[in-house]
Amino acid sequence: MSEYTATRSGAPAATAATPTTKRRLRIPDVAALVVFLGLEVLVFSLSSPYFFSWDNFVNIFSALAVTGTVAAGATILLISGQVDLSVGSGVAWVGLVFALTQPTIGTALAVPLAVLAGLGVGLLNGLIVTVVGVNALITTLGTLAIFRGLTISVGEGQSIGVSGFDWALIRPVANVPLPVIVVVVVLVGVGLLLQNTIYGRSIYAIGANPDAARLVGLPTRRNVFVAFLISGLCMAMAGLTSASQLGATSGTTGVGLELAAITAVILGGTSLSGGVGSVGGTVVGLLIVAVLGNGLTLMRIDSSWQQVATGALLILAVSFDRLRARMAER
Amino acid sequence: MTNDTFLRARGLRKSFGQVEVLHGVDLDLAPGTVTALLGENGAGKSTLVRIIAGDHHCDGGEIAIDGTVVDSYSVAQARRRGIRLISQEISDAPTLSVAENVVLGAWPQRGMRVDRSAMRREASEALQALGTELDLDARQDSLRLGERQIVEVARALRGESRLVIFDEPTASLSDAEAKRLYGVIESLTTRGVAVLYITHRLDEVFAIADRVCVLRDGKVALVTDVARTSAAEVVASMVGHSVERTRGAQRSLADAPVVLELTDASAPGFGGVNLAARRGEILGLYGKVGSGVAEVAEALFAIRHLEAGSLALDGTPARLRDPQDAIGHGIGFLPPDRARQAAFVLRSVAENLAAPSWRRLARWRGWITRAVETNAYRRWHDELHVRSTGDATQLLGTLSGGNQQKVLLGRWLEAGSRILVLSEPTRGVDVGAREEIYAVLRELAAQGTTLVVASSDYEDIVAVADTAIVMVRGRVAATIPHHDITVSALTEAAGGAIHV
Repeated sequence: MSEYTATRSGAPAATAATPTTKRRLRIPDVAALVVFLGLEVLVFSLSSPYFFSWDNFVNIFSALAVTGTVAAGATILLISGQVDLSVGSGVAWVGLVFALTQPTIGTALAVPLAVLAGLGVGLLNGLIVTVVGVNALITTLGTLAIFRGLTISVGEGQSIGVSGFDWALIRPVANVPLPVIVVVVVLVGVGLLLQNTIYGRSIYAIGANPDAARLVGLPTRRNVFVAFLISGLCMAMAGLTSASQLGATSGTTGVGLELAAITAVILGGTSLSGGVGSVGGTVVGLLIVAVLGNGLTLMRIDSSWQQVATGALLILAVSFDRLRARMAER
Repeated sequence: MTNDTFLRARGLRKSFGQVEVLHGVDLDLAPGTVTALLGENGAGKSTLVRIIAGDHHCDGGEIAIDGTVVDSYSVAQARRRGIRLISQEISDAPTLSVAENVVLGAWPQRGMRVDRSAMRREASEALQALGTELDLDARQDSLRLGERQIVEVARALRGESRLVIFDEPTASLSDAEAKRLYGVIESLTTRGVAVLYITHRLDEVFAIADRVCVLRDGKVALVTDVARTSAAEVVASMVGHSVERTRGAQRSLADAPVVLELTDASAPGFGGVNLAARRGEILGLYGKVGSGVAEVAEALFAIRHLEAGSLALDGTPARLRDPQDAIGHGIGFLPPDRARQAAFVLRSVAENLAAPSWRRLARWRGWITRAVETNAYRRWHDELHVRSTGDATQLLGTLSGGNQQKVLLGRWLEAGSRILVLSEPTRGVDVGAREEIYAVLRELAAQGTTLVVASSDYEDIVAVADTAIVMVRGRVAATIPHHDITVSALTEAAGGAIHV
């Protein structure tokens, strides 16, 4: 028998995690995405003289006001390991409730009613997921269809004009319209909520390990329920913003909004399986998509191609991240 | 020499990023011999095994199979050479049948179709070769853990195997199931198969292994015939120094008030259990897997609800609704399955430690900052001898098992729990960290914390318990006072010798 010998002495191995945990622990690098965003800005600045201007940046932010508001709520839900597909329908539903009631009861009453309509969607989703125990994907796929159908049916498929509700056009400071200020406040608010409150910490904990969260005494179901309510509140905000920005609402308002929001959140590094992510990442994700859309428009590229570009971008960004992770492991 | 070696590894090196985890490891595996591979967590066992199984490629060194040096190979190529890895985690398809799970990935075919009768025949033969009969049509997830592991082994052994690697196979098995596995290993070696057996348990080494190889910090620390070594030598080479089994001194607890009491308690998994723990006492609950000790521990933390009997805290009857309620009563709980039930591996160590205390740590209302969590972490980091980078934002999952366990223990110290229920506190914890955890538990008890240590590992009980309660099939079989707590007393009361 030959002897086993150590041929070299070296530094003791660190408390090394096994490679599998390493793979699982890797967090998509937001910094890489910021670099990508910078490249986007650079390319578009060079290809269009109008791109790099204050007014155009304001345009970009105005364009993401609605998506950004629902993406804020989606960030909380995805981190907690849940998902809400009903936000697009919810936005249309909120717009409809507002547009139908505002002429009779006035703006002052129609706004809270519209907020209640959004909260109602969130409440329904939250109850079905946390009390009945249906998977969030299935639940919100159902409510997506229900509220889209309700909106089209009650609104008779027509576009309904909204008048006397043009707050979204007000530009209080530096030519920045109110919806931009609103979406920034919402995103900062959700960011602080996630980073600096017990609620936010619990959301991460629940997404990272629901059993462990329950065993350290966190009210997991209540917290998830509240996350759906917040998503409902975001729908209400987005619905009112959309109605004011467009001056109308219809059965097709907000179609595909849920996917746009989730795209931005995932681009920003939030994990679909929960426990990982941040609002900062979501903001970068939102900007990457919005800058791409804006830049392509300035280059007079048809908007349907923007969808192709956004989809390709999502897959490329996530694939790139995977590849980089695999390279780092070698 | 070459003739009696199936696999010969020389100078294997492997780095992950900047960290070299194997610094030139030699290993010889001979047909018909069982080589036990030991080492603390992070010593490099998993990496070594993955290289042999083709899952990783080494950065330096060479591997010869049957005397021929082979270049880096894939898992599939390793399989073709007869190398089989049975990993710790079960990787079956729970919703498929037992027969399908045995042949998973290599279905017998007739043309394009799966030949179902051949599948059943092959599955049945494979299981019989392991001395097992299972209902081939049962769904995999209807089996018990041990049975699922047997299916896993049956699948791995299909085709001609020359080297079988077991990665801590008995960690979650009952004694009977473990014994059955030892039988399987014996039948493998008589057929001339080389076996590499990773374990944490010394009794297994001396029961089934011919050779023992100890890794420490990515190097071979000891390699010898089992017959020529001792448990003390093996342990010393694992930790780098000798370890004495220290037993807590007998303390007088008769005057201390009873803090925790179960009277005629029954719940799914146990019945008619009476137990009482005084202030500052460490009550050991010993029993094999399925004996009910884990279930009693769960009931004390309201994960499991009592169907009959009662629980009293400080002499007052208490009904605990849920874990949150239990925490409110000053109870802390360390669950047996760290990864699934306790650890937030993707979150920072500080957050993991502070989680149950967030409400108390919050500045006002629900407002919490990283700083208060960091302070909480600093408070316990040194006290618990957590080996880490010292950075409070380090992810928990980057610590070794033993150090994760210390952070999770710190969780309840920070929460100020006066009763701590620990279920399998040293599972997946290496020898050195084990001793440190025992020391912490004794210290806590000395300071007046009441501890209930529920374990299927007699070492835990012998090391710390003031009183031991032994359970068999959901009932209390014996209550052993401090001076009588020995390995043999425990195993005897649990109904059998140490499984060998």
